Amino acid sequence: MNMFQDNLNRLASRHRDLAAAVKSAAGGVLTIEPARTGLPSARRSGRWIHSAYDPLREAQTWADTHAAACKSGEMVVVAGVGLLYHVEALRKKLTPDVSLAVLLPNLDEFHDALVTRSLEGWSESILWLPGTPAEIAETLAKIGRPIRCLSYTPAALADVEFHRAVEDALRQGIARQAGGQLTIALVGPIYGGSLPITGYVKRALETLGHKVQLIDHSIHAASYEVMGALKDPRNRQLMQGRMADVLSQWTLATLAESPPDLVLSMAQAPMTLQVLEHLRKKKFLTAMWFVENYRHLTYWQQLAPGYEFWFVFQQGACLDAFRQAGARQVHYLPMAADPDLHCPMSLSEEDRQRFGADVSFVGAGYANRRRLFPALLRQPWSFKLWGNEWDGADDLRSVLQLDGARIDTATCMKVFNATAINLNVHSTTGAGLDPQADFVNPRTFELAACGAFQLVDHRSQLRQFFTEQEMVSFQDFGEVPGLVKQWLNDHAARQAMANAARAHVLSEHTYVHRMRDLLGHIGLSQPDRVGSVLRGERQQESLVKRCADDRPLEALIQDCPSGQRIELKDLAARIRSKGPTATLKREELMVLMLDEYRSETRDLL
Amino acid sequence: MPHEPSPAPRDLVIQMARLGDLVQTLPAIESLQEAYPERTLDVLCAAPLSSLLAGMRHIGRVIPWDGAQWRDWATGWPENPMATLQVMQQYLASLGDTTYERVYPLNQHERSHLMTQLFLSHSTREQEHDRMEARILPWAQHLRHVARERGANRVHLADAWCGMCGVLPRGQAPSCEPPPVELPQDLAEIGGRQGRWIAVVTGAGEADRCIPPPVWSQWIREFLAQAQDGQVVLIGSGTERETAQAILDSVPTLLHGRVWDATGRTNISQLMRVLQQCHWVIGADTGPLHLGTLAGARALGWYFSRARMHETGPYGEGHWVYQHASQARPQRWPIMESIALICGEQGRRATDWALWRSRMDRWGAYFDDGSGNEAVESSRADIWRACAPSLCESMAA
Repeated sequence: MNMFQDNLNRLASRHRDLAAAVKSAAGGVLTIEPARTGLPSARRSGRWIHSAYDPLREAQTWADTHAAACKSGEMVVVAGVGLLYHVEALRKKLTPDVSLAVLLPNLDEFHDALVTRSLEGWSESILWLPGTPAEIAETLAKIGRPIRCLSYTPAALADVEFHRAVEDALRQGIARQAGGQLTIALVGPIYGGSLPITGYVKRALETLGHKVQLIDHSIHAASYEVMGALKDPRNRQLMQGRMADVLSQWTLATLAESPPDLVLSMAQAPMTLQVLEHLRKKKFLTAMWFVENYRHLTYWQQLAPGYEFWFVFQQGACLDAFRQAGARQVHYLPMAADPDLHCPMSLSEEDRQRFGADVSFVGAGYANRRRLFPALLRQPWSFKLWGNEWDGADDLRSVLQLDGARIDTATCMKVFNATAINLNVHSTTGAGLDPQADFVNPRTFELAACGAFQLVDHRSQLRQFFTEQEMVSFQDFGEVPGLVKQWLNDHAARQAMANAARAHVLSEHTYVHRMRDLLGHIGLSQPDRVGSVLRGERQQESLVKRCADDRPLEALIQDCPSGQRIELKDLAARIRSKGPTATLKREELMVLMLDEYRSETRDLL
Repeated sequence: MPHEPSPAPRDLVIQMARLGDLVQTLPAIESLQEAYPERTLDVLCAAPLSSLLAGMRHIGRVIPWDGAQWRDWATGWPENPMATLQVMQQYLASLGDTTYERVYPLNQHERSHLMTQLFLSHSTREQEHDRMEARILPWAQHLRHVARERGANRVHLADAWCGMCGVLPRGQAPSCEPPPVELPQDLAEIGGRQGRWIAVVTGAGEADRCIPPPVWSQWIREFLAQAQDGQVVLIGSGTERETAQAILDSVPTLLHGRVWDATGRTNISQLMRVLQQCHWVIGADTGPLHLGTLAGARALGWYFSRARMHETGPYGEGHWVYQHASQARPQRWPIMESIALICGEQGRRATDWALWRSRMDRWGAYFDDGSGNEAVESSRADIWRACAPSLCESMAA
């Protein structure tokens, strides 16, 4: 019997259908060539996917690097097939209580592997995963083990989209099943556009059942602003820089008081690279949601290596730029709306008069808007302009409301709700529409969540979120007067479109959805930390189940309230509450002892 | 049917502090052994120091307390609480069923309190708890008062620990034969040739209690110049290797043959062996200084900053201490004076430093500056009477 047939027989004993499919696959994806050691190596599309010198040694090095992170009880999912040297090496390194699965995006490649190398002696317990990403995710979810994804990059590169889709499906699975309670320190900015988003994020995380500790730096905004009044730019920068340093230390001190599972910073949060590196050393998990245009604000370049996870609302070049700057993990996370705030309102007639118009725009006076908006004057419909930083825009003075005052969220919602056509023009520093229109701003989602009709300048991502039946966009500002004319008189059509957009936001684009996604990414990457909390493994019920007839432990945990995550300090506080004269069990004394060591200063400052 | 003799009752001393404190706990351990020869005495101490007690006579069992492991468990809890709890269970099991009728905790912190509860037998817990309170509380208050006010206290900490254990000091210093361990080849030569061997303790852990390297450099140069038969051994932990190297670099090459660098190269047993070969050990208030006294060397301490010889001076008869006049960082150091003392001349005071000699009596160790000791003895007796009245009564009887 030849090796291929032998391999197929082995495979068929546990994966009959797969064996049949591999048998009938054509193969020919890999070009097999002998390595210097004489063992077979392989190329795919001309690129070596195993060492041309010693594929065995290379695989062992790869396995050595990754095996240490794999924990007992986990399901390790490997992306990258090739000739499976790395899978064999990893399987031999792992203890039997760590399961190993291999993604099979291309059965022709697997066919080549089975023709070339024997599965004998190492493959018996491997779970081979053919099928679509959704099917694979479902299979893994049914097994119910914590998942750790590894990639053997040389072999995985050719199927990078497939692997990404599998990860997305796994992440969504984690997000759906998330039942545990994380403690998250949310670090807000001193001021700026990410400040209100910080509030939305907090509410979303709390809605998901997590405990959020907001480190609110906006309380220092007045001092920061005063320093901004210094005329000498060197002094101004020096003082504001020093204040940011102090606030960064302040964050550290706050974190030391009650260490969270995750430190989530919002864009512009005052965190220095030094502090981030210190946190990393102390094993704090950090993430940043950079809700800014990465081309306009570039401080991320210095901070990129500091955070463990970056989330950005731009794709493609943005992701590459962050990786090149040293970001370890960067993921796409678009903007959203908070339906508790961004919602339809029934307004009084007076408010309708005051805040309403045929066409309105709310936002700051960026250069492109100043150049474009005069075209909206002297039209047969009314136009109102709301927002600040319009100084010097004399031609727009007649439509500028509240003398160019900053508009708070409540007023903004009234304008959105009272206006027939809300204009949404993304800001740029140029003269016209944003030439690099690769993100969708929060206002797009907020207007939609309000059930307000909008005309938005077209964005490359827009149709990922809203169909043409849900939102009208324009490629050229010259189209706007015509579109206003077309839609202004068709109330019913506007309403239908706005309702559809709102429904879409509620089902897919709220901050709750985004936070679920963000935690899914982190949970997938950290199966033993955030992942295990999200899976509910720290909840009282789960711990009781895992006591495995250990009565004293079971009693200890059963004393704690059900439906809650059990933390060491909570357990210790519960024991201490019995009073100083109580006779404690050995297990209780051990927990108190452990808590004593836990509460040692974490030496953060 | 032959009657199985019941095992000897077991007691436990808990001392989780550092090397110097563990050495200074030995008087209490020996007093307990003398007072209760029928009982077995175990000792719980920090794991890295347990080898110190391995060679001590009459200690039943040494329980090494691995603080680093506990820290790891505490760190591991958030990642896997169940596994952490289970590993702690295993740890409990590894300690066996050992519980004690009497426990003598010598550290006044929560961990020590928890350990006491952990090791105290259930059946005697309540009764023993009351006895312990009565025994320990007055001494704990006294020590807190001393730490806060400093004042004129003359009761040595090692003797206060005797009091906490409910026994009187034996009136003589403990000694210990180092275990027969091998030394690195070059260090094995220490003490082998004739001459005055001096162990110089280069570090002191905390920066404000360290004697600056240039001071040691000068001391070594002057000593080797004056004592033609003098030999110097540099003592310290691995973190003090650079300091030792800096000291060595400043010593003329011609004298290098008379300086041995043992910093970072010995474990506790080996260090004891090295110290046993030295006639004198000189340094600040440090673990190796106290270990030296246990190994039989005479100690010469330079006490400054927060260190006060009345509480933590080298224990025993015939040691010397230069005590700095204030808690401020010394500007001058008793270099020539201490060399003169070691070289056999009369001890003399140095500017800003007072010279004290250790002595022993029925209340334990005390320090004498030559101005008479009647008042000193009376003040120590007063403290003993206040903290341990029944013990004093039994002594009088």
